Amino acid sequence: MEHDRQNPAFYALLVALIFMAVGPIFLMFVNSFKLDVDIIGGTSGLLFLPTIQNYETALCDILWYEPDHIDFCSLKFGGAFINSLIIALISTFLTLVIGCMAAYALVRFRFMGRDTASLTTLMVRMVPPAVLLVPVFGLWNNEFCLDRDGLIGGWIRDTFGGRGDVCLAGTHSGIILVYVAMNLPFVIWILQSFIVQVPRSLEEAARVDGAGPFQVFFRVVLPLIKPGLAAAAIFTFRIAWNEYLLASALSDRNTKTVPILIVNNMSEFNVEWGVIMATGMLLAIPPIIFTLFASRQIITGMTAGAVKG
Amino acid sequence: MNSQTFNKLTPYMFMAPAVIIMAIALLYPLGYMVYGSFRDWDPSQSISETEFVGFKNYITLFFDPAFRESLSVTLIFAFTVVIAEMVIGVGLALLLDRNIRGMSVLRTLFILPMMIAPVVVGLMWRYMYHPTVGTFNRTLKSWGFEGVDWLGQHALLSVIIADIWQWTPFIFILALAALQSLPRSALEAARIDGATGWQQIIYIKLPLMMPVLIVTALLRLIDAFKVLEVILVMTEGGPGLSTEIVALRISRTATEFRELGTAAAMSNYLLILLLFFTLAMFAFTRLQEARAARLARQVQEEG
Amino acid sequence: MLKKLKSSAVSAVSALTLATAALAGPYDEYAGETLIVNFPAHPHFDAVMKILPEFTKQTGIEVEVDQLPYLKMRERQTLELAQDEGEYDLIAYVVFSKADYVFADQLENLAKYFMNPKLADPTYDAGDLIDGYVYNIGFAGGDKGYLEGKTGSLFGIPYGSETSILGYRKDIFDKHGLEVPETYDEMLEIACKIPELEPGMGGLSSRAASGHHASHAFLLHLAPLGGRVFDADWNPIVNNEAGVKAAEALKQIVDCGPEGSASFGFGEALGSFLNGDTAMFLDTTVVAGQINDPSKSQVVGKVGWAMHPMGVRRGSQTGGFGIGIPSNAENKEAAFLLMQWLTSKEGDKLVAMAGGNPSRFSTHADADVNEKFPHMATFGEALKHADPDWRPIIPVWGKINADLGTTLSKVLTEDLDIQVALDGVAERTRAVMDEAGYYTWR
Repeated sequence: MEHDRQNPAFYALLVALIFMAVGPIFLMFVNSFKLDVDIIGGTSGLLFLPTIQNYETALCDILWYEPDHIDFCSLKFGGAFINSLIIALISTFLTLVIGCMAAYALVRFRFMGRDTASLTTLMVRMVPPAVLLVPVFGLWNNEFCLDRDGLIGGWIRDTFGGRGDVCLAGTHSGIILVYVAMNLPFVIWILQSFIVQVPRSLEEAARVDGAGPFQVFFRVVLPLIKPGLAAAAIFTFRIAWNEYLLASALSDRNTKTVPILIVNNMSEFNVEWGVIMATGMLLAIPPIIFTLFASRQIITGMTAGAVKG
Repeated sequence: MNSQTFNKLTPYMFMAPAVIIMAIALLYPLGYMVYGSFRDWDPSQSISETEFVGFKNYITLFFDPAFRESLSVTLIFAFTVVIAEMVIGVGLALLLDRNIRGMSVLRTLFILPMMIAPVVVGLMWRYMYHPTVGTFNRTLKSWGFEGVDWLGQHALLSVIIADIWQWTPFIFILALAALQSLPRSALEAARIDGATGWQQIIYIKLPLMMPVLIVTALLRLIDAFKVLEVILVMTEGGPGLSTEIVALRISRTATEFRELGTAAAMSNYLLILLLFFTLAMFAFTRLQEARAARLARQVQEEG
Repeated sequence: MLKKLKSSAVSAVSALTLATAALAGPYDEYAGETLIVNFPAHPHFDAVMKILPEFTKQTGIEVEVDQLPYLKMRERQTLELAQDEGEYDLIAYVVFSKADYVFADQLENLAKYFMNPKLADPTYDAGDLIDGYVYNIGFAGGDKGYLEGKTGSLFGIPYGSETSILGYRKDIFDKHGLEVPETYDEMLEIACKIPELEPGMGGLSSRAASGHHASHAFLLHLAPLGGRVFDADWNPIVNNEAGVKAAEALKQIVDCGPEGSASFGFGEALGSFLNGDTAMFLDTTVVAGQINDPSKSQVVGKVGWAMHPMGVRRGSQTGGFGIGIPSNAENKEAAFLLMQWLTSKEGDKLVAMAGGNPSRFSTHADADVNEKFPHMATFGEALKHADPDWRPIIPVWGKINADLGTTLSKVLTEDLDIQVALDGVAERTRAVMDEAGYYTWR
């Protein structure tokens, strides 16, 4: 693409903006390689001896060796990272499949209840996670349970151990269920605008060839809305990966996710800046990678989401 | 099964999973919350053991100065943030709507702040605002100025700045996209008529972008009510109640004060407020779309 | 059929273990069991983590620890203890949780374990445990419901006893010829003198952030200055003369403190002392380990310790944690063994050497401990003056505490008038107490 020659002031502005956007992240990156004394003591700038000690402390439970500087491994970062991955990936996948099917139905079919469904989807988009906190906490802990003497509950207890009734709270599935439900309205909303653009004639042609509705959907429609799927996937993943509040209410010691670990680690007795920055950096890496490699899809997704009211 | 019934059932089959999940994990909990908001409910009780107290929770909240304060903090926060972000974001978009080398790099890097976990954003800013260790005060002092008590006396402002950092790019990118999809003919016509840069912006670009901008602003406004983690990590709502937005108060009431009924009532107040904004968004969209269409027609006819 | 077979197998096995237990040590019956315990993320319990492997080595009982920040820990426990069958076998709890847990019948009364000859260690020497803390943390049902008294009994054992102590910078005090403050007036005077003598340095760093922090800092001054939250009849008296004086002291300390004091939580307050930004630090004894850790502190070797200064009386805080067995635990007896081992003379010394806060007189006097931590003797002395009634431990305290904390934060940052602020707290507290039924017998 040809670029116009512009006033150098614009370039200065561009550089300043880039600096502002990336500066804090860069600062965190740099600090994650400093010892606490260096961070607090003010050896500012880049003149310091970089150390990977913070990362060793953070990842101590999955390292193959035992770092000298820690007596015992208190941060179970590795485990939390795996939990985060499981929860974010599965919930993203489910949201996409379910969301796309619903979006397809809303765009392509006229059926009874369509308007209600469409309106409800739009409305629940605004529900903040904080509003869900109380009911989800109550339901997942007390109502959505299987009796431990029951057939399935008993089987789960025998197989996986644990005590008490089998409840959704404290399981990966419990958190995934909330995330899928929370992200569905957004995904349905955003995908509708992509599905509308798929030419009907292609679908008709496939149908004439004898394909059933599901075949038409999976073989014809899905491949054509790949960019939309990518955008939706990134946004869903982002929320599931970053969410703190609901996960903290629903997880137990085995299903903790990384954001919970970071907030927990900012405990009042001992703010270990270096380690916190290292964990923050590790949490930020997947979104950063997405952004660098798929910024076009993200921007398309954002625009599609906003333009369609 | 003949193909007629097949077609009738198809949409329901496509909708079913989404409907079931949303009903179980979104709509039912919301109903449960409304039900719970009329009860005196402790986290260790299951809801059947709780006592019905009518509108007591709502009335207590209505007269509770702490809740009112956090409501006003929320409103101040949300509106300031949206207005500032709109002004800066749209301003930058108008300024940078030209063919400059490096634009795509800017757009890519600009998205970073909003992709990163709010928890991480909070901790980065908490570090930068730190009274002695933080970047800002260190820089200020090295330049010979007094340090600023960021998270103490200016906590709300500091939180607002962090949010502006994180979300202005959102507005910028949407505004830029809107600008670039404006009908070239209208701009061309204005230029031939001798309109200055400012006149083009005020009479042509802004009115044509308006539908997108209003939806964007309302989207941001609704999202601004969801902000919680950034503030939680930065200030935990303090000092005093100066940054305790409603979302944070709900979570504190539920976990720290252990009053689930009150927290549910609080959630309901917030939900009603947001419902109002969402409805406003629909109304505005319809209105503005009609008006913009009329305007575009006019511009075309005149040109 | 299968079930019957299984149960007879189980009883055979247990009969077998019983037979060997008669011959072997008290732990054998429980060897191989895994206890799940809930501890806070806290320096004392970090030290505990280091000594747990020793317990496993001696007894064969495995311990799995769920470590959480203490407010989170409480949330978790609220949930777990209410279940029919809970996950935790042993929990650490903050002092003010005692009221809730005992009231809701969620902690085991320890009598039946100390009566059991197979479980109770005859060399345990309970008399060596520091009295104030046993009553403050472990005892419930005595006077006012939470103090020592004839109607009370034991539900937990103090573990990680903290009190407040004054840390000061020896070098700064020597440089300007300052005397270590003995009384509140002296302390406040020096606190405000330091910023003049040492530009850029704060006098005393205190917690002050909204909520629990501000409230804690205020209560810290309230007791020595002669105040109380309630009088003997549960009337709120925080707004009396002593209360106002305590709030004034807090405000003065924050005003003369290091930059940004008004938003300090415990971490920031300590951080500023560790960084050498402030000359004094008045808070829990738990910080000693970090102050002597060169990777965290810039003031290693420069810090002296003194007792919490006197107002009209000595009254340092009683804080820290207790450990208790939840009523819904699975392995209660093994949990008791762990609890007993941790708080025994041996365990207490081990944890002290690992950097924890011992809870026994003998550990504070121990030669090895004192050689490694020379401040331990002062700390032991301070513990004797700890005031078990510096804050009420009643179920509604959490709510009053939160109100007190946010209101005081307003005093510190928004210049709300002290008397008005405390009157407001007293009025709201009265309503809370009335609703909770404390005035029923009027």
